[in-house]
Amino acid sequence: MSAIKVDHVAIGYSNTLIIDNLSVSIPEKKITTIIGPNGCGKSTLLKAISRVLKTKSGAVYLDGRAIHQLETKEVAKKMAILPQSANAPGGLTVFELVSYGRFPHQSGFGSLKKEDYEYIYWAIDVTGLNEFKDRPVEALSGGQRQRVWIAMALAQDTEILILDEPTTYLDLAHQLDILLLLQRLNEEEGRTIVMVLHDLNHASRFSDYMIAMKNGELVKVGTPEEVMTCPNLQLVFNIDARIATCPFSDNPICLSYQLCQKDR
Amino acid sequence: MKEKNNRTHTQHRAKTKNLIIIGVLGLLIVVAFMISMNTGFIRLTPLEVIRTLFGLGTDKQHLILFEFRLPRIIIAVLVGMGLAVSGCVLQGISRNALADPGILGINAGAGLAVMLFISFFPSTAATPVFLLPVLAFLGAGVTAVIIYSLAYKRHEGISPMRLLLTGVAVAAGISSAMIVLTLRLSPENYQFVATWLAGSIWGSNWKFVLSLLPWILVLIPFVFSKARVLNVLNLGDLTATGLGASIEKERRILLAAAVGLAGASVSVSGGIGFVGLIGPHLARQLVGSRHQFLIPAAALTGGLLVLVADTLGRWILQPSEIPAGIVVAVIGAPYFLFLLSRLKD
Repeated sequence: MSAIKVDHVAIGYSNTLIIDNLSVSIPEKKITTIIGPNGCGKSTLLKAISRVLKTKSGAVYLDGRAIHQLETKEVAKKMAILPQSANAPGGLTVFELVSYGRFPHQSGFGSLKKEDYEYIYWAIDVTGLNEFKDRPVEALSGGQRQRVWIAMALAQDTEILILDEPTTYLDLAHQLDILLLLQRLNEEEGRTIVMVLHDLNHASRFSDYMIAMKNGELVKVGTPEEVMTCPNLQLVFNIDARIATCPFSDNPICLSYQLCQKDR
Repeated sequence: MKEKNNRTHTQHRAKTKNLIIIGVLGLLIVVAFMISMNTGFIRLTPLEVIRTLFGLGTDKQHLILFEFRLPRIIIAVLVGMGLAVSGCVLQGISRNALADPGILGINAGAGLAVMLFISFFPSTAATPVFLLPVLAFLGAGVTAVIIYSLAYKRHEGISPMRLLLTGVAVAAGISSAMIVLTLRLSPENYQFVATWLAGSIWGSNWKFVLSLLPWILVLIPFVFSKARVLNVLNLGDLTATGLGASIEKERRILLAAAVGLAGASVSVSGGIGFVGLIGPHLARQLVGSRHQFLIPAAALTGGLLVLVADTLGRWILQPSEIPAGIVVAVIGAPYFLFLLSRLKD
């Protein structure tokens, strides 16, 4: 069963098309990661999936219904987005920002209800932000701030989580922290996760499916074993990669690589 | 469980603190109101003021308070509220701390309308003075529509940055048109226009109160009901969309509300634009960025600022007056610089 279906979409900004006639399915209750070189259209695809960008033709279907015909608030109850570079307005505390994640569930003047508080505190807990919850967001480090945004998306309590490079700005341990958290949300609560990652080894280790893109087109879609191969990586990134097996998770990893000489 | 209680407790305390601040602001307005009632050529003791308010004063006291001072005070407070909330909305939807009704050309548009009227119908004495607010409001509205349509792009809608830049450009254009027009004005008319532009509560009359009050009574509660939307819009388009806000629709509605508030205020007060910038800033210092508290706090701060400025303006150079807009700028500018110097990077 696919949670999201992308059907022959064309996407772009004003006059330039970034993606033309692309179709792909995002399976339900799985972790799917989009990889590809800079400017290949992976963030653009993610934005179309999350209805932030309108498609020029074709459509994105959520539970079988065209996403642009759904009430945006209804979509927000099913799908949360962590944008690539989010900026908090000054003077907001961690708690306050995370509480904004409850927006789609509130109506009217709606002050926070007991249920809202539970989701907010849960999100603050699982992202390890408890001791910071009353601090202003701008006083936190880059990594802590990233976790606040993730907490906000979690407080939204959606079946689908869409994350554009959730591990940027984080050190190695914190990167793993976030990915393990996403894995736990997927395994224990069956949430569908779609993200863009730059780190191929993380993508391979934590994803059920990988989507490799180049120049706005799909190069390969499949399990990490199917996607993380020498020919594929050469095609996508123009690198000559040595593939090994991850000692922790048995997934293929890229041990090291060098640039391919031809085409340069 | 105990920890959970502690946590709700902290949130509760923050809320109580903000409510107290808003209460204190309200109280300060009452104090400023009493002082302002007492300010003027004829002094009244606070007791006399209270007695008169309850209908127990002499005819003369009654006349001074009810026909001269009270409408002016009410207008000062309403204008301050309208401009500050308008600025608060504009800063929220544009995510730019320097946005205010002036930047959107609202003051300039209103000023141009007033000036055109005066330069083509120069006999101010004969012209119905009540036409001026109507004209000013129209000028503000037309300017806002022009700016909006210039900044609008099909498929992409309105980007806050383009809106601000267009506003600045149009306001600059209007200002230069106004300078050309001033050259044609007679000295008396020039004086009138200059005072109007500087921003003074000149329309101290119950009719002006009635023309302004409905806007404030309808639009400020409306904006307040959109507090959560403003919170989310403040996070940027991507995040706001992700959270399920219809950004384009909400932004258009809120923009219209901001123009309505500023236009109505400017029409009776002239260009007290600075309140729209500094009111929300002061309020943010006091209660933070959440619009549930920020909007009421900005309204009260704005009302208090204009009331104090107008009172000071009437008092300093008695019996002549300094326009409230100038007093606000003189008090506000140094404080604003102080705020900026405290900002990091």
